[in-house]
Amino acid sequence: MSTSKPKVLIVDDEKGLRIGAQRLLEMEGYEVTTAENGTEGIKFGTETEFDLAVIDLKMPDIDGLEVLQTIRKKYPNTVCFIATAYASYETAVEATRLGAHSYIPKPFSPEELISNLKEGYQKRLVNLEAEKWQREREERLLEVAFEKTRLNTIINSITDGVLVINKEGLAVLYNPAALRFLELSSIAVEEYILDKLRPELLELFNKLVSEVSIEHKSYTIQIELKPNREFFVEVTASVVRHSTDNVAGVVIVFKDITELKKIEFVKSQFVSMVSHELKAPIAAVYGFLKLFNDDSIQLSPEQRKDYEIRSMIRLDGLLKMVNDLLDISRMELKTVHREIKKVCLHEIISSILELFQIDISKKGLQVVFEKDNTAHCINADSDEISRLFTNLISNAIKYNREQGIITINLYQSDNYIVTEIKDSGIGLKPEDRQKLFSEFFRAKNEKTKNISGTGLGLSIVKRIVDSYSGRIEVDSEFGEGSTFKIFLPLII
Amino acid sequence: MNNKKKILLVDDDLDLLEQNKLLIESKGYEVITANSGREGFETFKKTKPDACVIDLIMEEHDSGFILCYRIKNDEHGKNIPVFILTSATYDTGFKFGASTSEEREWIKADALIHKPVIIEEFVQKLEAFYEMKK
Repeated sequence: MSTSKPKVLIVDDEKGLRIGAQRLLEMEGYEVTTAENGTEGIKFGTETEFDLAVIDLKMPDIDGLEVLQTIRKKYPNTVCFIATAYASYETAVEATRLGAHSYIPKPFSPEELISNLKEGYQKRLVNLEAEKWQREREERLLEVAFEKTRLNTIINSITDGVLVINKEGLAVLYNPAALRFLELSSIAVEEYILDKLRPELLELFNKLVSEVSIEHKSYTIQIELKPNREFFVEVTASVVRHSTDNVAGVVIVFKDITELKKIEFVKSQFVSMVSHELKAPIAAVYGFLKLFNDDSIQLSPEQRKDYEIRSMIRLDGLLKMVNDLLDISRMELKTVHREIKKVCLHEIISSILELFQIDISKKGLQVVFEKDNTAHCINADSDEISRLFTNLISNAIKYNREQGIITINLYQSDNYIVTEIKDSGIGLKPEDRQKLFSEFFRAKNEKTKNISGTGLGLSIVKRIVDSYSGRIEVDSEFGEGSTFKIFLPLII
Repeated sequence: MNNKKKILLVDDDLDLLEQNKLLIESKGYEVITANSGREGFETFKKTKPDACVIDLIMEEHDSGFILCYRIKNDEHGKNIPVFILTSATYDTGFKFGASTSEEREWIKADALIHKPVIIEEFVQKLEAFYEMKK
């Protein structure tokens, strides 16, 4: 628009004036259209948008003010002048009220007309520019509003808690999840929130707000909101800066790490149990070696031999425990290489019983192995199944009484092959039964004190059974014996 | 007349029990042993020893504490030193001791003896207790 000629509409019933003005303005570089009465003025003025219009006040058909009003209604940015020989204060006021830019008294000189139009055209350019900015601003505002809504939607759907506090300690933004972590039922925006924060959070806030360094720092702390690892939270507070690098406030993000903490706790308990269990045999052997080297203690050759044998037994137990632990760790990491093939349980059990023959005879045990007429084969890893039954049969021997009985029953029930291993031994106290499959658990009583073991065998048994989606049941009576029932699915 | 001091030693690890028995005997004490918390208390009542040395982790993780508590509640037990034998402070990272009277009151023991037992340290603690009683 600015590169083309300014467009002017002259509306006047006076022919001489129209032609004169047209010539003059065209020479000045304007593009001129003339209308000889009000009707034509309205027609031209509303068909095209003119930059400027000079409208005669008194015309025979339609009043100049009405022409002005109609044109301005359609094109509010057309700068209109009212030309009249009947200038009066009232008409000037009225014309201005209706949107005339100015008012040119007749007769006017060419200079007067040109300077008025020039100034009017400048005014129009300024108006158009302002309008453009206004439009752009509105568009941007809309965009910002839209962005804000989108941001809120995102923040509200995060399960981590988010709370933004300005430098003055007023809550600026938060999401519903934050309420849970702050143990508050509601927060009002612009509410003073610092007095509702836990001391640890307040300390973080103060530290961040008071820091002079312009580094974008953040601090992370862990808080136990409810005791006994029931609700553990990790809180990260970071400083929010203005573009000028001044501190605007602090954003605090809360993360629920309860599950993580629980796992960490179980793991550290396990590690402490493992180290304790590993230390016991080392301490025992170390103690014997110290006795051998203590000149103040006189040991008989028999005693010495006895301690040597006992040291070896403890070291042997230590080795077994390390191997069991490695097995458990491999099962946990699922790095066990399985070779799945047809495994027949009766064959496995028979060969294990053969292996244990010496121990069975030593204790004078009677073994009864019964099976029904169905097939007892499943697809599994033969080493794992051997390990499973070796542990159980070894327990049935170890925890049996002299001249006792071991009964093994093998049968199909629904979709399972069930193996029942029953001993006539020590049995379990009710309180021990629940802990039976935990690592390092060994029932400790008068009758078990001379029986060696790592406390890991049944834990391994349970893991193997679980890995085949099977289950294990225990029935036991203290002093009477125990029955272990293993259910292995026919199809895995 | 036998004037040797009688020490009751309670530990569920039979090897450690025997080793410590030999060590303590070599320092001129008489040693009676028991290998569980329950057996420990029965032996205590029967023999009325001059001191008790009790392993912490036996049937349960706190069997030693419980036995100490029961002994210190007994008329005879009140007047004799009761020591807890443990390596648990190292194993678990859980710090406890018996160096202050509050701690001694809380764990009901007069001192902690760390495993493996350094016999000279043990004798020193024991004799210090008898000296104090005098």
